[in-house]
Amino acid sequence: MKRGQMEMIGLVVIVILITLGMLFMAQFALKDDPTKKIFVRKGLAYSTMGALMKTSVACDDRGDDFGEKFVRMTELMKDCAEYYGEPSGYMCDNKQSCEFLQELIGDLLTDTLGTWQKHYEFKSSLLGFGDSSETLIEFSDEDEKGCKDERDTSGLFPINSDAGLIENILYLCD
Amino acid sequence: MKKNRKAQIRMSETIAVLFIFFILVVFSLIFYYKYSEVSFKEEQAELMGLRAMDTTLKTLFLPELICSQGKAEPIDNCFDLMKLRHAAEEGVFNKYLSEYYFDLFPYTKITIEQLYPGEGESWVLYDKEKTKQLDDGLMVPDWKNKESTYFVVSLRDELNPDNEYSFGVLTVEVYG
Repeated sequence: MKRGQMEMIGLVVIVILITLGMLFMAQFALKDDPTKKIFVRKGLAYSTMGALMKTSVACDDRGDDFGEKFVRMTELMKDCAEYYGEPSGYMCDNKQSCEFLQELIGDLLTDTLGTWQKHYEFKSSLLGFGDSSETLIEFSDEDEKGCKDERDTSGLFPINSDAGLIENILYLCD
Repeated sequence: MKKNRKAQIRMSETIAVLFIFFILVVFSLIFYYKYSEVSFKEEQAELMGLRAMDTTLKTLFLPELICSQGKAEPIDNCFDLMKLRHAAEEGVFNKYLSEYYFDLFPYTKITIEQLYPGEGESWVLYDKEKTKQLDDGLMVPDWKNKESTYFVVSLRDELNPDNEYSFGVLTVEVYG
């Protein structure tokens, strides 16, 4: 075999080796995130939101049915929206409904998602007429990282109130 | 003599090239072995995660625990506290372990905790740890990894209709 031919074969071997190496690296880089993680995150966001909205809370009714009673979180959200910036219809733990919800939702999310090292953002807004929207409650994880890039959502949990439509959403990410 | 020396130089050149080539091959083999080991571990962890998720889903839809509403669809992600207390106190899951539950949840621990309102009451529904017996008859744990999955659930208390729903957490730990 001539020297030139041998050098060609050597070059071909090097090219094949480099190609194999590149393919190997591509396999690492393009490896998809397991679908399980995404499914669990989506399910967790939905179930967290569902459980939050259903939870009953002991509050003092300052309206017609005066006295302590248990109300669902959705009821408190309505109260918060209807009396936003004014003394609310319910007083829970000596706090106005908006202030109480902000604290309670924050505590519950910190005790669950926060403990499990998840990042999250909770937002509750009142949609008025036209384009106007007022943020009633907003909370993100303790290190304020929130979820800006890849995230899953609980989906909208809308509540109808006399003040307008309240949209609740929870974003969850790793 | 001159020709012989030239041949010697060529020989040592070839040996050097072959030496480098084999070193590269050995490095590649070590790299591939490490990669296979890591990917095997990852795959195992993923499989355990999937098992934990499956177990969580099965638990969420267990008729023994779910919040039923007569003939209507049961409520999603909700456990009936009356059923839950009964199952935990009577040890229903451990009583029928070999007949039924072990096939559903092999080597798993299922715990439900009430976070709000209340003082964090919790119920261990099912706990089957993978164990082995030593020569002296002592039972010791026989698992290397544990994968935990958490899920937020509602807990319905029908005995207390005013304070109907509380906020809880379902924890599923899978032993592997």
